[in-house]
Amino acid sequence: MLDRTRTTLSDGTTIDDLINIETREVQLRAISDPELYDIEMRKVFGKTWLLLGHESEIPNPGDFITRLMGSDPVLITRQKDGSIRVMLNVCPHRGMRVCTADAGNAKVHTCIYHGWAFKNDGDFIGAPVAGEKMHGDILPKEKLGLTQARSHLYGGLIFATWNLEGPSFDEFLGEMKWYYDMLFCRTDKGLEALGPPQRFTIKANWKTACEQSASDGFHTLTLHRWLGEFAKFGDGDLTTSMYGTEVSSLQGHSLRCMPVANKFKQAAGFRDGNLTLEEKLAIVPPPGITKEMLPELIRNLSPEQLGLLVDSPPQVGGMFPNVLIAFIYVPQPDGEIIGLTSLHTYIPKGPDELEFCNYILAEKDAPEEHKQKALQFAVRMLGTSGMVEQDDSDTWPHITQTAKGAAARNVTMKYQAVCTTPPRPDWPGPALVYEGFTKDDTQWNWWLAYRELMNAPA
Amino acid sequence: MTMNAVIPTDVSVASDAPFRPNRVPVGSPAYNEITEFLYEEAWLLDEIRLAEWVARLDVDLRYTCPVRQTRPLHQHAQSIVRTVMHFDETYASIRGRVGRITDTRSAWAEDPPSRTRRLVTNILVDSTDDPDEFEVKSYLLCSRSRFEETNLLFLSCVRHDLLRRYDDGIKLARREIIVDQTVLGFPNLAIFL
Repeated sequence: MLDRTRTTLSDGTTIDDLINIETREVQLRAISDPELYDIEMRKVFGKTWLLLGHESEIPNPGDFITRLMGSDPVLITRQKDGSIRVMLNVCPHRGMRVCTADAGNAKVHTCIYHGWAFKNDGDFIGAPVAGEKMHGDILPKEKLGLTQARSHLYGGLIFATWNLEGPSFDEFLGEMKWYYDMLFCRTDKGLEALGPPQRFTIKANWKTACEQSASDGFHTLTLHRWLGEFAKFGDGDLTTSMYGTEVSSLQGHSLRCMPVANKFKQAAGFRDGNLTLEEKLAIVPPPGITKEMLPELIRNLSPEQLGLLVDSPPQVGGMFPNVLIAFIYVPQPDGEIIGLTSLHTYIPKGPDELEFCNYILAEKDAPEEHKQKALQFAVRMLGTSGMVEQDDSDTWPHITQTAKGAAARNVTMKYQAVCTTPPRPDWPGPALVYEGFTKDDTQWNWWLAYRELMNAPA
Repeated sequence: MTMNAVIPTDVSVASDAPFRPNRVPVGSPAYNEITEFLYEEAWLLDEIRLAEWVARLDVDLRYTCPVRQTRPLHQHAQSIVRTVMHFDETYASIRGRVGRITDTRSAWAEDPPSRTRRLVTNILVDSTDDPDEFEVKSYLLCSRSRFEETNLLFLSCVRHDLLRRYDDGIKLARREIIVDQTVLGFPNLAIFL
């Protein structure tokens, strides 16, 4: 008998057939199966909270940006009272995209097709030739506005979901919020987007990028080998910096905290415990931070969070389902260490294509010179032309294609590098903690979160 | 429709300069010299002779590629975004990018390399106050093929260059690449435009 709460594909395959809990394997078929893709749009992208940008992109009343929530275009607007609205950018009359610009400022958004007009909060104003009532009498005007998403601002980041009754944003972050706060809520004024995102397409399924964003450490050693070989990161040996602590949750979120002392000779003294926070910040501050920001950090973070941020900052990781977080260092030949802050969303564009959307950010309170340097080096290392990430973008299309083979679809992706080291007794933070060399646990948790949503009733 | 509606006279996105300020005529010796430089540059890049390409860059090089956005016509200039860009380079950073490709065996984005074809056309040259410096516009259509993919990827752009003439040849001192796509169809910019 069919279990109706279990998601089943047309040939009888279940999600649980594809994701093997016992052996921590995922069948390659799960990557680019078109039938799964349709379910993902409804059960993953139709249900979770999704990152859409930063409020600094729309500072003034009337400002707007247009973005994608999964496959749905949305209009994001700043209201007169300063709040932000996220709504479907689809005309309730005949389905035309209401706003066709990427950004701008408008009190009223008028559809160019038949002229239906909407306030920037989405309320229907009216249609041309009001007396003739293009919109009829059958539905009241209140029902003819743009479909509203549920939105939330977190550290200025704009999130939204179509799941109006689902978990709150804080519940969605769960215990990982303690760590994310160290990145997004650590200064008085918070982060700002340094411009609109870079956008480009990769002929790869969104999951190839997203399972990697769940703190895949091993790929750094091989795919990004040039960092040691050419850029001389870690004096040519990337292995040392892969020792640290990975934190994660069953919601599929994760971060890798990397001890500064493992990365930089200058920071060897961090281990002794004799240095003050001020001294440490003067030697190697966390990416995006300057030593002048210490009072702000003290105001916004607990002593435990602050200690961890300074000694072992989270540097890479993800937020389920499709966010990559990069708060990374770029050491310069002259000894200077530049810190970058960037977030990516990997937006599904069909089973075989994703849009890579790269936001580059900096602390609002950082000096202008610091912001400009961070921006310039973020462009050089990450995103479109980023010397690190251009190698990633060449990998994912291959996996997307191999996953279609009659034989290869049954090959499994293996997440069998399991952490067996217990957490340090003095580890200050919550969530699932994986101590030592990078392992596969965080990525496996990503698949568990995916499995949970895909099996949930629609 | 009435034909006397006010249409902005200049919707050029890259510059407010008059259209024909100091045109160097097509076919003149200076024009030909510059055209040859751009053709040779395309050849060197397509042949992946990157060290020879770098030798033609001036040490004060600025090499940028703004992000594009869709904006209404009356905001056309704002379709070019010069904050976050796709490339934001200097001579040193370009040398670093080239070194990554030529001095390692792990620059996977271009190893194996793309097969590219840079078609350079519509070259317009303007003289400047300095007799040895020229402002040059050129169209570039870059096709790219990787692995067994039969559909070529394309990127089209206009390049606004500052070229400087030395005794031993021309060097590229400034290039702003204005791409036509808001969402690039290339999976990365691991190649130069």
